[in-house]
Amino acid sequence: MISSFPPGLIMIIGALLIPFLPHIIRQIYMMVLILVSAYALTLGFGIHSKIEIMNIQFIIFQSDALTLPFAIIFHIAAILNVIYGAHEKHWNQHVAIMGYSGAAIAAVHAGDLLTLFVWWEATAFTSVFLILASKTQRSYKSAFRYILIQVGSGMFLLTGAILLMSETGNAEFKNFDINSLNGQLIFIAFGIKAAFPLLNGWLQDSYPEASEIGTVALSTFTTKLAIFCFAKSFAGTEILIIIGAIMTFYPIFFAVIENDLRRVLTYSLNNQLGFMIVAIGIGTELAINGAVAHAFAHILYKGLLFMGMGAVLYRVGTCKASELGGLFKFMPITAICTIIGAISISAFPLFSGFVAKSLIMSALGKEGLVFVYFMLLFASAGVLHHSGIKIPFFAFFAHESGIKTKEAPLNMIIAMIIASALCILIGVFPSYFYEILPYQIEYQPYDFSHVVGQLQLLTFAAFAFICLWHFKIYPPELNSTVLNSDWIYRKMIPGVLLPLLGLISDVNKKIEQFIVFTFISIKRFFSDTMIKNKVFDREVGQDTLIIVQLFVILLIFIFVWKIYL
Amino acid sequence: MKYLIEKFGKINTSVLFLCIFFLILELVGHRYGETSIEDILFFPAFFGYLSCIIIFKIGVSLRSFLMKDEDYYDK
Repeated sequence: MISSFPPGLIMIIGALLIPFLPHIIRQIYMMVLILVSAYALTLGFGIHSKIEIMNIQFIIFQSDALTLPFAIIFHIAAILNVIYGAHEKHWNQHVAIMGYSGAAIAAVHAGDLLTLFVWWEATAFTSVFLILASKTQRSYKSAFRYILIQVGSGMFLLTGAILLMSETGNAEFKNFDINSLNGQLIFIAFGIKAAFPLLNGWLQDSYPEASEIGTVALSTFTTKLAIFCFAKSFAGTEILIIIGAIMTFYPIFFAVIENDLRRVLTYSLNNQLGFMIVAIGIGTELAINGAVAHAFAHILYKGLLFMGMGAVLYRVGTCKASELGGLFKFMPITAICTIIGAISISAFPLFSGFVAKSLIMSALGKEGLVFVYFMLLFASAGVLHHSGIKIPFFAFFAHESGIKTKEAPLNMIIAMIIASALCILIGVFPSYFYEILPYQIEYQPYDFSHVVGQLQLLTFAAFAFICLWHFKIYPPELNSTVLNSDWIYRKMIPGVLLPLLGLISDVNKKIEQFIVFTFISIKRFFSDTMIKNKVFDREVGQDTLIIVQLFVILLIFIFVWKIYL
Repeated sequence: MKYLIEKFGKINTSVLFLCIFFLILELVGHRYGETSIEDILFFPAFFGYLSCIIIFKIGVSLRSFLMKDEDYYDK
């Protein structure tokens, strides 16, 4: 029975019981659900479960070398989320996180596009509650925009799937041709969730508005599910190299000027997704391993950074760089864990980011993509700037903010320590990590050139930041809103569309007035000349009479038309 | 040394010495890159330093263009 049950589904069904359980039992129950779900990962590769509804076959549980690393890290992240959110007494976010994690895990195991579509939308409808959980006007509006875009992405996927079915008779989840219409629709659907350039606004708009627990969960699943889908369906699609390179490049500048540190992390998330997209675009075994390794490592260190900022938000009530500073002496463990996350994302040797990113850089070098290689190298320096230094520096050091607080709750600390330990373990023992990647390849990240080159790059980039700060060239952080691509639908379209709609409405009113005026004039004419002169003896309702009169006029008109023209 | 620590602080001075140490390491061993340009002596160091300055400069220049009031979308 359990062998045919898709991983993740047990978490979704089990989530329904969460509201009825007392707090501590609920936490244990959620852990058990995740472990039961993870048991299905031991079944090996192949199609394990199918169902047929209305002559359509749904492959609800299939696994291969690509699904396994994503399934493993999604389960680990789900466990970390449960620990990190254990202080939250109310059930609503726990239900949402359990359902959301379960839907993402089930989506990874989908063998056809219709099954994927169901879980694709399920991730949207469960995760939106994590944004709503903040209970602010901004979060409500943001959640509304988020769900519209996520559902929109699902519609592209569904349309692509239906087109594919009409052409081939099935909607198997496999490689797609970017030159076909169905391929393009599916590509757009994945691209929205992967936060492609100009489609990324929802990410920076919504994630920082979610609760401190919610953002950690959000940073894990949605975008990485899209990365999985790209790796499965569009590996080797060259346009992804260009899109990914742009993604690594431009969010850096936004992250540098952004004041909200959780929003800085969302730009950084966008930038990291770019590395994965480039690797998928290259499509070689080394590159795909790099993309998967990077997604795996990224879930841990980005989750860790969001956990650190979530802890600050939970204790202090803000994550704005302009209002924070000097928290190290109050929250030393949170600060150290955040620094580990920052070092990992910056790809320092002996940390997870280094062993993952090296695969992608080597793949680029091997393919001779020099320009893209240097774009990514430049982006690596940018990552150090905004995530490696800016996040821990402005939150825990910089200047004295005068804020007095206490260390994060124990459960948050435990989750952060586990995530930190995993970041270090992956960095120190990369060979074990590489074993779970889709392709078995020989790769050694720790050679003299790699290590010294990377250390020079990072330490000198850090030294540049130090110079800018020490000589007071670095401008102060300001409370502000940084414009992003969501400006298009939040300001520009309403700014153009609303006046246009107003103009159309005005013209419509004028036309209506003209018609009414004409109608009344005709009515008056007949009333005055015919009714008052008692043309009709019988009492007939005035409106009926007018209709009869108009009908007679129409008949006369047709008669004249036929006779003379 | 004392002067440096007084002038720049302990952490900043440590980073400076680390930078120097990694430059010396390159002189001791043979470093090569994924591309031939990277084989230039101390290339990653120059690249890292300049990248950070360029990112900062572009970021600051974008401030006037992209930075709006905090309640920009609420107006």
